[in-house]
Amino acid sequence: MPQEASLSFDSLDKAKRLQGEITKRYFQSLTAAHKEGKKIGYGFVMANPIEFFNVFDIVPLYPEVTSLNISYRGGAPPLIALAEEEGYSTDACGYVKMGVAAATDNTSTAIGALPKPDVLLLTYSGCQIYIHWWEQLHYQTGAPILTIDVPYVREYDGHVDPHDVKYVSAQLQEAIPEMEKVSGKRFDENRFKEVIALSAKAWDLWGQVVEMGKLRPTPFDAYFESIYYMAPITIIRGTQEAVDFYAFLLDELKERASRGVGPTAEERYRLVFEGVPNYPFFKKFWNLFRQNNARAVASTYPKVAGMVDTGSFRMNPERPFDSIAEYMIHAYCNWNMPMRTRLLEKYVRDYHADGVVIHSIKSCRSFSMGEGDMREYLAKDRDIPTLLIESDHVDPRYYSEAQIKNRVEAFFETLALRKGVA
Amino acid sequence: MSEPLDTFARVMDDSYVTYATVADWKKQHGRPAVGYFPVYFPSEVAHAMGYLPVGILGASGRVGLDMATAHTQSFVCSISRSVFQLGLQGNLDMMDVLVFSNICDVARNLSGITQRNLPNRSIEYLHYPINNTSAHAAEYLRGEYLRLAERMVAAGGHKLETEALRKSMVLFNRKRALQEELLAIRKNTPWVVPYTEFYAALRAGATLPVETYVEMLESYLTGVRARESRSKDGVRVLVLGNFCEQPPLPLMKSVEEAGCYVIQDEALVGERWLGQMDPRSADPLLALAQGYVQNLEPMTVRFHPTVDKQADLLSKTQRLGIEGVIFTSPKFCEPALYDYMIGKAALDKAGIPYLHIEYEESMSSFENARTMVETFTESILFD
Repeated sequence: MPQEASLSFDSLDKAKRLQGEITKRYFQSLTAAHKEGKKIGYGFVMANPIEFFNVFDIVPLYPEVTSLNISYRGGAPPLIALAEEEGYSTDACGYVKMGVAAATDNTSTAIGALPKPDVLLLTYSGCQIYIHWWEQLHYQTGAPILTIDVPYVREYDGHVDPHDVKYVSAQLQEAIPEMEKVSGKRFDENRFKEVIALSAKAWDLWGQVVEMGKLRPTPFDAYFESIYYMAPITIIRGTQEAVDFYAFLLDELKERASRGVGPTAEERYRLVFEGVPNYPFFKKFWNLFRQNNARAVASTYPKVAGMVDTGSFRMNPERPFDSIAEYMIHAYCNWNMPMRTRLLEKYVRDYHADGVVIHSIKSCRSFSMGEGDMREYLAKDRDIPTLLIESDHVDPRYYSEAQIKNRVEAFFETLALRKGVA
Repeated sequence: MSEPLDTFARVMDDSYVTYATVADWKKQHGRPAVGYFPVYFPSEVAHAMGYLPVGILGASGRVGLDMATAHTQSFVCSISRSVFQLGLQGNLDMMDVLVFSNICDVARNLSGITQRNLPNRSIEYLHYPINNTSAHAAEYLRGEYLRLAERMVAAGGHKLETEALRKSMVLFNRKRALQEELLAIRKNTPWVVPYTEFYAALRAGATLPVETYVEMLESYLTGVRARESRSKDGVRVLVLGNFCEQPPLPLMKSVEEAGCYVIQDEALVGERWLGQMDPRSADPLLALAQGYVQNLEPMTVRFHPTVDKQADLLSKTQRLGIEGVIFTSPKFCEPALYDYMIGKAALDKAGIPYLHIEYEESMSSFENARTMVETFTESILFD
């Protein structure tokens, strides 16, 4: 990368550092919560009604977020080993294994010891293993499970029947007395609406961010960089801090665009990414694409926190429960496979991408089962160059560096031939 | 072999790949068939609409998986891949409707890729509630059944009529009661009915028209009751984990040959799990939905917030006089693997012996499993 461009990019890469600080403070708030007499509610990323936690002053802990951060820091193997010694299968989800190991007495992790749950909020959207995971923790810790059933988007045209929305909305309202019991706080509808209004602002800004991948060149990597940027929408949504973060990020990316800088020296290839990244080798994996001057212009994984770019939901303080219900229904993996496949195709078209990369992970069948069919459709029916790689998101045993490198290099050779790039 | 048993064995063999029984029934009656992926399906609804409900239980190693392999990952279970293969190679063509549900992530995604690859077929997905203590769950499920019924009308079925549903409920109640009777015989005198026979008798019930099946099962049970056979020693085991993907029969045979009596297992559990429904209920469709929502019998793929799986397992082992538990997990089946951990913790505390065996549809060597079960049996006998 030329020095001038590099300096410009570094000076326009502050949002990642800001996200790092936010995440660090979030982890500190977890360890401090019990000392401060606060209750801990475990939740999931997909269909996460953080507004519901916020209004009861329950501190949310997302084992998916803690596990990915532990894994990113190289701390997954001892936790996975601990779980497997207990009897968990090598075929079980790495997140579950890390989660149960982290909740075992006297276990320390790469981000510190994690507090145990006072309540397990089971928002069943997009992942069946969520049920089993919380059952494990329930039998392990005795914490109660509070369930919100979220129907799958099962119509292949994407239609969601109003009775699905009413059903989820009614359950949220049914859960209020339980949340009051756990938290010791009365439900405050006005505060709930305020929190939702702040959420809506953050979603709007995050939506504008992901759309910036349409610019040519894209000023950011919509997969690898988005993985940093998506954290606040999950962990601190419903706060002014989250709104401020996305406003800052949007300004930064606009500035990058105006100066013509981005995460690679140039933009030779525009790619769409599907699937969960490999956290233990995150930067190495990214480098395989970065060194080929490839930038992700759109990706599906950052949408697990909410389908922000499809017009599927909009948080609305005037219809608080219904709008949260709509958001919960439209988590990426809660969409049926034909919808997910068509979304990839749409991304290729709308973002003028050269190809699709599918990173298929063993741990998560919710993401992975049928990704082969996506490849079949994109490559054979639509003639879109598509690379499918298998590894895992947290377990380094499934990352075969040489093999993946060869496959990625071969993919770029194909892309180069198609584009006529020497 | 008795006549009913002959039929059960023939229908079982046919239910892996060929489905000639279904094709013959359609030809004879001129009515549609609905295939359902495990575990539970409200067959009464389909039957009342003139459909033949058929359990699609996997090919159990009888087909190659070449076509399915291109579309599915290497780390998903055998049943999902073999069912997909059957669909792609045309073996499921006589099913006018195929129904999947939220038993696991794999089954859920399987519904979508099946739809994409068989675009002219009615591929439906039923969402069963998991918040089964919610006041809204049963009504929601009733709505799901109505939605399915609309699709089944479009695919060639009659309109769902209340009186027809009541009649179907009576028939399926009878089917479940007879299957429970068969289970009771296994529980009290397991040496009377070998496992392979028991399994064929259950499995045929997922394919045969209910009227025929009930008649045959009654006749079979009459024969079984009249059998004279002396009791034999064997270790009484409970087998868990085989609720969806079917273990190869030689594996279960190995368990018996190693000195165990399978007193209860989860084979075809969805066929009988619902129990007895009240057909005289003012709203029989709601009664069916309530039957699902309110049933407190644990089933791995049906979450119920108030069910205590560990307490239930311990109570079951006591009630059935179980001496050991064998967890049989299909390879890559996460629901079974997680329930194994829950069950294992309870058994460890209670000091009840258990064994864990993994299987795949296409496994062909059972020596290792047999040795494991023999060692397990001996450890119980000589403890």
